[in-house]
Amino acid sequence: MDILIGSLFAGLLIGMILALVALGLTIIFGVMDIVNFAHGEFLMIGMYTGLLTAQGLGIDPLFTLPVAALVGFLLGIICYFGFIKFIIRGPMVAQLLGTFGLMLFLRNLALLIFGSEDRAVHTGLLVGKSFDLGLGIIVPATKLAAAGLSVAAFFAVWMLMHRTRVGKALTATALDAQGARYMGIPTERMNALAWGIGGASVTIAGALLVNFWSVNPFIGLLFTMIAFAIVALGGFGSIPGAFFAGLVVGLITEIPGFWDFFSYTFDAEWMMDVPMTSFKYMWVYVAYFLIVVFRPRGLFGWKQ
Amino acid sequence: MEAIRNALDFSDSPRIDLIVAGAIGLAIFVFPLFPHSSFSMSTMIQFLMFSLYGMGWNTIGGYGGQVDLGKAQYVGIGAYTTAVMLIRWDVPFWFSMPIGMCLSVGWSFIIGYPLFRLKGHYFAIATIATSLVLKDLFEVWDFVGASRGIEISPIEFPTPDFMRLLFRDDIYYFYVILGFFFLGILYINWFRRSRLGFQLRSIKDNEDVARSLGINVHWAKIKTYAIATAFVSMVGSFHACYVKNIEPEDTMSLDISILIALMAMLGGAGSLWGPIIGAGILIPLKSYLKEWLGAQAGLVGIDLILYAVIIMLISAFEPRGVWGIVEKIRRKRRK
Repeated sequence: MDILIGSLFAGLLIGMILALVALGLTIIFGVMDIVNFAHGEFLMIGMYTGLLTAQGLGIDPLFTLPVAALVGFLLGIICYFGFIKFIIRGPMVAQLLGTFGLMLFLRNLALLIFGSEDRAVHTGLLVGKSFDLGLGIIVPATKLAAAGLSVAAFFAVWMLMHRTRVGKALTATALDAQGARYMGIPTERMNALAWGIGGASVTIAGALLVNFWSVNPFIGLLFTMIAFAIVALGGFGSIPGAFFAGLVVGLITEIPGFWDFFSYTFDAEWMMDVPMTSFKYMWVYVAYFLIVVFRPRGLFGWKQ
Repeated sequence: MEAIRNALDFSDSPRIDLIVAGAIGLAIFVFPLFPHSSFSMSTMIQFLMFSLYGMGWNTIGGYGGQVDLGKAQYVGIGAYTTAVMLIRWDVPFWFSMPIGMCLSVGWSFIIGYPLFRLKGHYFAIATIATSLVLKDLFEVWDFVGASRGIEISPIEFPTPDFMRLLFRDDIYYFYVILGFFFLGILYINWFRRSRLGFQLRSIKDNEDVARSLGINVHWAKIKTYAIATAFVSMVGSFHACYVKNIEPEDTMSLDISILIALMAMLGGAGSLWGPIIGAGILIPLKSYLKEWLGAQAGLVGIDLILYAVIIMLISAFEPRGVWGIVEKIRRKRRK
């Protein structure tokens, strides 16, 4: 039983962080109708930013969030004005391969600069500590803090989108860019802002994730695919959808834990033989496939 | 007979194209007669292989406009079928290759049916997802060697062996793949003016209009996807015999899928010569960059950075590739 509750808990915690990862993607897609393949690479940059700032300044990784947010915001803006602006007019093929090129570029730049080895945070206020919640559930403190902070960041972005003038302008651009332009909204700047906010939210997620996840230059693709799955499930462009879908996908990544639970409960020999942990992320891809085939709108989607 | 005559009929291309293409084709054909390094030989084989991959991608991605980023899974199926059948049951290449093509096409029907209900981004990402699922499965499947992969050991299988397609000297491989290459060109030349080819182009231009003209859009896409798959799987089988050591990572990774799409995009998607031009530019570039820069310490990844810059520049400024530039110049001259 404790395995079951433990897996559930772990899945929900990681799901909250993954929701923040997907938030940037869904904002960018909502506002501009472009799918950013480099999203996972933004996350990777956020992770490196958190790691290097913490090590360089000797502060706790949890306090590097403002730096990560700034880096992500600038990165988003630079990518928009330096590159995305040019491919947005082209056909869809060019957009897809263009952001793909961006992904390859960032990944290999990181490889060139940081090398291919795994790096992880070893010191910190919370690193290595854990809470015992009873019922045999032990939660690492870093995960709990990261999940809590990512919910806070998520809520902040949600407030920004729904309670401020800028957020309204962004939503208007998302709904009808041409109409928004007639109403005097600088859509070009809104697009850039969407990239900035998207970049900032994903780098914050990266800086949170690096507390308990080692980073290397190739980590991006996995998170890009996870973010795609979340955004597809939640509905492209939907912010609350991204949150709930994040929790669902978080639970999907914990399928090996549930599998263990059921194989012990039923004492099923054949279930124990399946190397389920090797398939950990395969279920995310399967989930993406099933979602887009059977419900392309997602749970909360309003964009087709 | 009609089909063969159509395949050999290049009369709609300008004469200058044919002369250039013929000259280059002849140059490739006699290339091994001149002194060459084994490095340039392997680059040449790579070029021919990726031209064929690109031609396959070009049918669905170029003429059909469906951005498929999951072609690597069929490279994997083809390569693994040939390698596994050779190792386990001693089936020669020339029999296992068609079987591999059948398996790939079968799989492409299974996933193609739901896939082609999707469009645009959704389709592209879903093809990546299927490819990654298959790769994950192959990485734990003991029958095909899991993540260690399969090796066709030279001790067990003596060379040269034409039936099993195992040689020590690259020149034989060169002529085999060159044969495939010329057949591939003829096939694409037939394909682009076949009924399906015209249907596809109308689908690419406007799917709703195509449907209103009575074209079964879904089925046309699936058929073309199967053709593209057969191409890729065939070269995948060749890859197994040529490299003799295959793993999920180097046959089925996303990089291969991207590279395949990129060949066609760079050269000019939806044109007969596009994939060949693309492969002709990218493959030598990749090999030489890897040889010169990658080997030097501390410069790992710089070849891929340059690559990425090329992709970004093409997609930003000339989405129709090199062939698009050629056609633009021609149109200007005619005026």
